[in-house]
Amino acid sequence: MIFSEIYGAYYNTVAAIISEAVSHPVSNEDIRKIIEKHAFGESILTIPEAINAERWQLIKPDGTTPIEGKPTLPLSTLQKRWLKAVACDPRIKLFGDVNFDFPDVEPLFLPEDIIVFDKYSDGDNYEDGEYISNFRLITDAIKNRYPIKVITINRKGKSVCSVLIPDYLEYSEKDDKFRLIAPGHIINLGRIVKCKKSNKPFDIGRVRQSRKKTASVSFELSDERNALERVLLHFAHFEKSVERIGEDRYFVTIKYDNDDETEMLIRILSFGPMIKVTAPGCFIDLIKQRLLAQKSCGQ
Amino acid sequence: MAYSELIKNFNRIRDYMREFYVYGFKSREEYTGKSARSYDDERRRLESWLGDYMHFRQTAEGKNVFISIDSRLSRHNPLFKAWKTKSFTDGDITLHFILFDILSDSESALNISEITGEIDRRLACFSEPRVFDESTLRKKLKEYVSQGLIVSEKKGKVMYYRRSEAAPSLNRDALDYFSEVLPCGVIGSYLLDKGEVRKSCFAFKHHYITGAMDSEVLYSVFTAIREKRSITMETVNRHKDRITENHVIPLKLMVSAQSGRQYLMAYTPRFNRITAFRTDNIISAGPDDVCESYDEFHRKFEEMLPHMWGVCTEKRPGRSLQHVEFTIRYSDEEKHIPGRLEREKRCGTVEHSDNNTSRFFADVYDAGELIPWIRSFICRITDIHFSDSALEERFKKDIEDMYALYGLGGEEQ
Repeated sequence: MIFSEIYGAYYNTVAAIISEAVSHPVSNEDIRKIIEKHAFGESILTIPEAINAERWQLIKPDGTTPIEGKPTLPLSTLQKRWLKAVACDPRIKLFGDVNFDFPDVEPLFLPEDIIVFDKYSDGDNYEDGEYISNFRLITDAIKNRYPIKVITINRKGKSVCSVLIPDYLEYSEKDDKFRLIAPGHIINLGRIVKCKKSNKPFDIGRVRQSRKKTASVSFELSDERNALERVLLHFAHFEKSVERIGEDRYFVTIKYDNDDETEMLIRILSFGPMIKVTAPGCFIDLIKQRLLAQKSCGQ
Repeated sequence: MAYSELIKNFNRIRDYMREFYVYGFKSREEYTGKSARSYDDERRRLESWLGDYMHFRQTAEGKNVFISIDSRLSRHNPLFKAWKTKSFTDGDITLHFILFDILSDSESALNISEITGEIDRRLACFSEPRVFDESTLRKKLKEYVSQGLIVSEKKGKVMYYRRSEAAPSLNRDALDYFSEVLPCGVIGSYLLDKGEVRKSCFAFKHHYITGAMDSEVLYSVFTAIREKRSITMETVNRHKDRITENHVIPLKLMVSAQSGRQYLMAYTPRFNRITAFRTDNIISAGPDDVCESYDEFHRKFEEMLPHMWGVCTEKRPGRSLQHVEFTIRYSDEEKHIPGRLEREKRCGTVEHSDNNTSRFFADVYDAGELIPWIRSFICRITDIHFSDSALEERFKKDIEDMYALYGLGGEEQ
C-alpha cells in the first residue's frame, strides 16, 4: 500500500523528536519546532497532546525517551520496486552510481510499460558521454556554487562562451530537454559543446539576478465538447483562477512566464472558438494577427 | 467522530483535491454529493496540509475554495503531502517505534516472547504502561513482514523476527528528479523525507502534478502488467455520476505531456477491444488471474500504435482508417516551423514541398484527435483535408467562429 502511516508526516515528525530525545531531553519548544518543520499546519494541536497525555508512549514526562537508538527503517518492498524501476530508466546514467539494484524484488515498471505519446521527438540524448559529463558538472556546480565556463553554438553557427554559476536545471517532459538556468542565462543542455569548471575569479555581485517576468492572460471559456475539463486540465500547471460567469461559461485568468508568450498563444489557439481572450489587449492583437493571416491563406 | 487532520481513506480526499485544484470555481453548496460537514472537514484538512497554496474567493454564489500552484516554482509536488496523512491508532505508533528499536539490526532475530519482554521493559517507565498482547504483536509483525521491513524465519517450531537489511545511502539528486517525472513518484518523496531537507537542483516546466493522486491505482496496475495479470477495477463516469466494475487486461500506461492526462490502455473482454481508461477515473484496481493470452493482446496493441495519434484505438476490426492532411506555408525567417512539424508529427509524415511549404499527412483511428494540434498552425494553413467530411466541416466552421469571436469576418459574439 502506498497510502500507509509508516510513510506519513506524523511518523516522520515523531521519528525526528525521538532522534533528539535519545541524546538529550526535549522541551515543548523543541517539539513545536520539529512539528513546524516536518508536519502540517494543525499538527501542533495533536502531536504534543498525544505525547504529553502518554497516549503515544514514546517520550517520557522529563523529555527523555525509552527508545534506545535513533529511529531508522529499512527500505520497504514498495520502495525497492520503485527504485529498481528508476534504475531501468535511461536517464539514470546522468546521475552516476546510484545503487538502486535490489536482487530480491522486481521493478515496479519498465520503460516500455509507459508511453509519453505527445512529447517532442528531438529530446536530449541522455546516452551521450559528453552530455552526461556536462550534466554532472552542472549539478555539482549548482550544489557547491562555483562558476563554470559553458561554450554553445548559437543559431548563426557561432561559438559563444559564458561564465556563470548555475542556479538550477529545468526539465520539460514535453520538450524532453534540460535547460540550465543561471542569472542572465537560459541554456539548453543539448546545445552545450563544452563545459568546464572556471578557475577565474567570479564577481557574483556583478551578475544580474534572473527574475522572471510574469504576464497574465484572461479568457472566457464556453463549456462545449467538454472544453471546461480539457482547458482546465491543460492549463492546470499554471497559477490560475476560474469563475463561473453564466450557464456553461467561465472566466479564466492564467499567469505565465513572459518568455513563453508564443507558446501560450498557440496553446490558446488550439482550443478554437471555445476560448475568447478578453485581456490584455496586446494578446488579443496577437490572436487577431494570426487569424487575419489565416484568412489570407484562404482557408 | 471528532475532526482529525489525518484520514483513513484516500479516495475521498482525492476527489476534493481534484475539484479544488483543477476546477476551483464551485461553492460549498455545489458539492452536492457530500454532506456540508464532510465538505468543511476536507477543506480544513487541505488547508492544513497545503496552507500557502489554498486560496479563497467570495462570489455571489458563496465562498469558493481553490488550490493554485505554479508547478514551475515548486521543486517538489505539493500534492504528495496528501499521501502522508494516513491515520493510525495510539497503539500503532507506539508499537512501531518500539518494535524497530528492539529489532535494531538485521543480524539478531528475536521470538515473540523475547519481543514482548523488551516492549514491557521499555514501557515500564510510564505511569500506565500500555500492554500489547501477543495477537496484536503478531498481527503487526505480519504486516511489517508483508511490507518487507521485517524478515520472519522459523527455527524449529518457533518463529523469529529480524529487521531487513539496512537501506543503502541513496543518490538524492536522482530521487529529486525521478520523484517528479516517473509514475508513483510519491515513493521517491517518501525516501527524500528520510534525509536532511535541502534544495533540489531541479525545477520543472510544463509539469502536471495531478497524476500523483492516481499513484495507488498505478501501483496496482503496474504490478499486474509486470505479472501479466488481468485486474478488476472500479471506474467512475463523472458525467453520469455512475460507478462501473470492469474486468480488463492492462497493457500500457499512456501519458500526455501536454495535457497531464494519464490513460491505462487495456483489453476489455466484454467489448473485445483495447480501450483507454483515464487513470483519474479509476477508483480502485485489484489483481485477478494471470492471463494466458497476454502477449497476444500486447502484440495487438503494438500493431495499433502506428495509427494512434492519441489514445483512440481501432473501434472494430477492419474498420477503415481516417486520413488527414494539411499544408502550411512559412517565410524564409520562419525556418523553425518545418522543424516544429518534424518534432511534433508523431505517427504522421511530413513532406517539404519547397523552401516555404510543408505537407503533413496521417492515417489514424480518430482524426478528431489531431484538431487541437492543427489549430496551433493557424495563420499558415493553406490547405486541409479530412476523409471524414463532417470533421472537415467542423474544423472550418470553428475557424469561421473564431473570426467572428474577434470581429474579423462574421458577426461578433
